[in-house]
Amino acid sequence: MGIWDHAVMGFMSVFSGPEAFSILGVGISITLIMILTGFLMGITVGATPGLAGPMAMAIALPILISIFGFSQDAFLPVMGFLIGIMKGATLGGSVPAILFNTPGTPDAYMTTLDGYPMAQKGQAKKALKVAHLSSVSGDTFSDVVLVLCAPFLAVLVESYLDLPEKAALLILSLAFIAAVIGGSVGKGLISMGLGLLAAMIATGEDFYPRLTMGSPALAEGFPIATAILGVLILGEVFKSIEDMIRSGIQSAPRPAATVAGDRLSFAEIRRLAPHIARSSVIGTIIGALPGIGSTLAATLGYAFARARYDNKRSASDPRFGEGAPEGIAATEAANSAVSGANLIPVLSLGIPGNAAAVFLILGMESIGGFNPGPAVFRVPSDGFNPELIMAFGLFTAMFLTNGLNWTIGGVFMRAVGVMARVPKEVLLPVVLLLTLTAIYVQENTMAAMWIAVGFGVLGYIMRRVGMSPLPFVIAFILGGKLEETARQAFAATGGDAFFLFTHPIAAAFMVMSLAVIVFNLRKPSP
Amino acid sequence: MKTLIKAAAAAALLTASATTASFADGHGWKPEGPIKMIIAFAAGGGADTSGRLIADEVTAATGWDIIPEQITGKGGINALLALKDMPADGTSIALVVTESLGYNAVAAEGAGITPGGFTGLTTTAGFQMGVVAKADKGWATFADMIAAAKAGEDLSFGVMSPKLADLAYLLGEANGVEFNIVSVRGGKAVMNGVTAGDLDVGFMAGIQGKGVASGDLVNLASALSEPLKQTPEAPKMSDLGVEFSADGYFVFVAPAGLPDDARKALTDALSTAANTGKAGGMIEKAFGGTTIITGDDLDALLQSDYDSSGALMKAAE
Repeated sequence: MGIWDHAVMGFMSVFSGPEAFSILGVGISITLIMILTGFLMGITVGATPGLAGPMAMAIALPILISIFGFSQDAFLPVMGFLIGIMKGATLGGSVPAILFNTPGTPDAYMTTLDGYPMAQKGQAKKALKVAHLSSVSGDTFSDVVLVLCAPFLAVLVESYLDLPEKAALLILSLAFIAAVIGGSVGKGLISMGLGLLAAMIATGEDFYPRLTMGSPALAEGFPIATAILGVLILGEVFKSIEDMIRSGIQSAPRPAATVAGDRLSFAEIRRLAPHIARSSVIGTIIGALPGIGSTLAATLGYAFARARYDNKRSASDPRFGEGAPEGIAATEAANSAVSGANLIPVLSLGIPGNAAAVFLILGMESIGGFNPGPAVFRVPSDGFNPELIMAFGLFTAMFLTNGLNWTIGGVFMRAVGVMARVPKEVLLPVVLLLTLTAIYVQENTMAAMWIAVGFGVLGYIMRRVGMSPLPFVIAFILGGKLEETARQAFAATGGDAFFLFTHPIAAAFMVMSLAVIVFNLRKPSP
Repeated sequence: MKTLIKAAAAAALLTASATTASFADGHGWKPEGPIKMIIAFAAGGGADTSGRLIADEVTAATGWDIIPEQITGKGGINALLALKDMPADGTSIALVVTESLGYNAVAAEGAGITPGGFTGLTTTAGFQMGVVAKADKGWATFADMIAAAKAGEDLSFGVMSPKLADLAYLLGEANGVEFNIVSVRGGKAVMNGVTAGDLDVGFMAGIQGKGVASGDLVNLASALSEPLKQTPEAPKMSDLGVEFSADGYFVFVAPAGLPDDARKALTDALSTAANTGKAGGMIEKAFGGTTIITGDDLDALLQSDYDSSGALMKAAE
């Protein structure tokens, strides 16, 4: 059987699985129901400040396994549900970023830069529509690339990147984010350094936790979700409370329900299209690289779009950071385009590129029958390869979810625009409560509350001194990985202390890291 | 045929332990309140899933409430430190590996963890630890790899614990080569590294099963004192000139001083559950079947692991 037969069987397997119920004699397979449920859960979770897709996937996976078991029949319903959450949350994640200035994940941070100013100007609905259009376009594009390139792309990438190259690539990502975000290279580097410092606590290879000053609450290090939500959301809440105290609750301008210019015209879509296309490509490329993640994609997409936009901007258009729809489009297309391409290393090598992919792999492993690796894409000369059929089943589930994102997602994004009218004095306590609850649910300790508040204060101070919290968050996430990869690269090269410079590709990445910092230092700040 | 024998053995064990369980119920020990089950492994992984499924089966069989909680890091030392100070009344147990109470306890000198500080309940499954390489490396046997190393190829060897790093070192020394030993976090990371080509070879404790079956990976050697079930022809550590092995098990422990009736009831409930329903099926699939060691045998195993760790450290110095 050829590849096409496998594709058809994979497609059919989604529709013909075990029946959930039947309408007029036509059976609706359980897989379809699970995809829809997962999607609805994902978009809700994404749109709730303080919650994010990976967390929902982590909670859902054990429950799904206990319902469906781990036989081969469970594969598509469980994976469909997880993919539904992943994609729904990718779209929904832009909602709190635009409406409340509180991104639930680091990659939505760049969306706040233009999304929130637009919402304040009364263009919340337009901002949400731009986010919807670009997010789903980026995601769909990325999925197409996945289906076409998955078998060989990851293997190709991995054959060029060994441990020293991976360590250098992480350094390049950090250098880029520190230099480009927030206007000032110095502040970006300080923010990044603080993030690396926080990531050092209680990690490492030794049998005793380092830098904890003997505190048992820190023995496992700062819990990652707690630190990120503290800096990104609590920091913003604290800052807003201070603003309200200074300027009084009443004087805070409430955005008008609808103002002129809250529509998205076809001409505007045409103007956004090149930004969406460029960011989709960037996101897809970053997604195919191992372990870098969607935040770098969002940052790159945004930075490239800003450079293009500043050249062509007419005097009446808002700058990036003041409510330009192009900023949202560039960010959302890029971070969403990561999610499909991220499955390239997942399916062909079984290596996760981001947190969501980790849970997809865990799902595949717990269920069995599907062993991510090069064997998945082997087309046998006779008979058929069940794993290839399952892979095509997954692709079908992904495109079905994209369909849901285009349709139900659009309705959803238009509907939540109403929330922009909620006054801040009502909203902030709700966001605070939701965030703290989300942290408590994940960590189950009071210590996590204090850590979250501590990071909130840090986020507040950073905002007060005009320092972007994003380099901090990214350095905190990638810090452990960087240390680990560097340590492993050092060991794998037989203790070569200059492993970053003796391998040509790694050395090139290091030169680029230096260049990106020097180049941004010399650039006059806007 | 092999699966048939395994299934039969599992069924026999199941009936045997089911009878003991109902016997234990007759004795009437009950935990006072919910049981906290500390899991020393990352959420969602194979070990974690097995622990949670066992908890479900115990609850189904006895009605006891079990609350699983993750305390990860430092090779199980963090989990054991947390368990040590909890009440020894059967309401706190932990799922770790025998290595946590052996090599890791010895290596984490200041932590004060010894087998004497805990009550062993039951093992659930053993490691099928192999020395594994990717098939497209072209090595069919361990000797092929050694030949490649002697021909001048620099080989990186992935390990997931300090004990295994020592073993990898001794393995190289005994065969006249020096590996670049790379320690990574968890067996999954070793497999990822080997699959991606970042590592040339590594220790894997059972997760290589599917890859070996599909022909993508090769078990070059058994890191155990006995041959691997999947690749019985691969040489074991003693055949390769190393007197130590990576034998190890997943094990449930409670704090020291657990009353005998509680120990017996918990041991019976957990070991029965490990062979039952979804838990049994999952362990069969992920770890090649259950291995139950309890009571005095378990005490002796934990103590000898702890005692021999010093010798291994010394040998690798």
